[in-house]
Amino acid sequence: MAGELWVAVMVAAAGTLLMRLLPLVWMQRRLAREDSQGGTAAMPRWLGVLGPVMIAAMLGASLVPAAGTLNAWVATAVGGCVTLLVWWKTKSLGWPVVSGVVVFGVVRFLNFVVI
Amino acid sequence: MSDQVISAGGRAWVSGVRDAIPLLGGYIPVAVSFGLIANQAGFSSWEAIIISLVIYAGASQFLFVGMVASGAPLWLVVVMTLLINARHLVYAPNLAPWLTGNRWWFWLMHGLTDQVFALAHTRLPALPSSERLGWFTGAMLLAWFSWVGGTALGAFAGQELTGRWPLLNDVMPFALPALFVVLLAPRFTSWLWAAALGCAIVVALLFAANGLPNMAIPVAALLGAAVFFVMQSNTRAEV
Repeated sequence: MAGELWVAVMVAAAGTLLMRLLPLVWMQRRLAREDSQGGTAAMPRWLGVLGPVMIAAMLGASLVPAAGTLNAWVATAVGGCVTLLVWWKTKSLGWPVVSGVVVFGVVRFLNFVVI
Repeated sequence: MSDQVISAGGRAWVSGVRDAIPLLGGYIPVAVSFGLIANQAGFSSWEAIIISLVIYAGASQFLFVGMVASGAPLWLVVVMTLLINARHLVYAPNLAPWLTGNRWWFWLMHGLTDQVFALAHTRLPALPSSERLGWFTGAMLLAWFSWVGGTALGAFAGQELTGRWPLLNDVMPFALPALFVVLLAPRFTSWLWAAALGCAIVVALLFAANGLPNMAIPVAALLGAAVFFVMQSNTRAEV
């Protein structure tokens, strides 16, 4: 890799780190200032809404299967429903994910076997 | 998962590692693909590994090696990489109320990816403050190492792996949407939240399905937030 390409990698890496880090410094200072002024330190309302909707957006984007076939979409729908169902029963983190992946894999495998 | 405070029993980092295990299903296959594609784009295996180590941001890394391979100007490569990662700006402030004053948090922000944020946003409020640093360290390091390890695997043996187990490569990434379902399900607490989250899911799905995955998350999140505030103000006006 040429020297200028290394510089580009390092600038991209530093910029990405700063985008993750500087907003934390800003928010911590804001919370500390509100706290010292005797007020209730709280996040701005818009930021509290943006967090969960970002996760929802990640879910939506990740639902698109790489294969793009009908079977892959069916497997995604069935796997998603099973994940939700197992979460409803167990209220845990690991089992719903494992169950969803297994069911998704079974539906995909059936496609390979049938075709 | 509930909002009540649950102690990890003095081994918070182990709890963090355990909670982050579902991320591996999504990280490793994508990282293997990155290692493979970086090699095909003319980067050596070690260069691909270093990019994963220091940039550590999935979509933007693919863009980075793709643009370099196509001969794009380096300043444009850097600008586009940073633009794709701009969504990360809102992650740390969302976690700030649950982070302690420890200086290590600043360095740990290197590992604040989309998925680690989603996990931490749900888990940190449920942990006692003394265990949050350990939990985040465990979760973040496992995710980071799996990304770097997956890149190494892809760079050194990607072609053989994907040729031998094509179905595994197809199935494992479903761990990510499954994890997001679990993280999001407890947040459907009212019609207001259901409408906002539902809107964000559908819009992101439509964007990603139509070949615009990088725009999907910021646009869908902004529309979801807009739905939340519009519906909230309408409800107040009716009252």
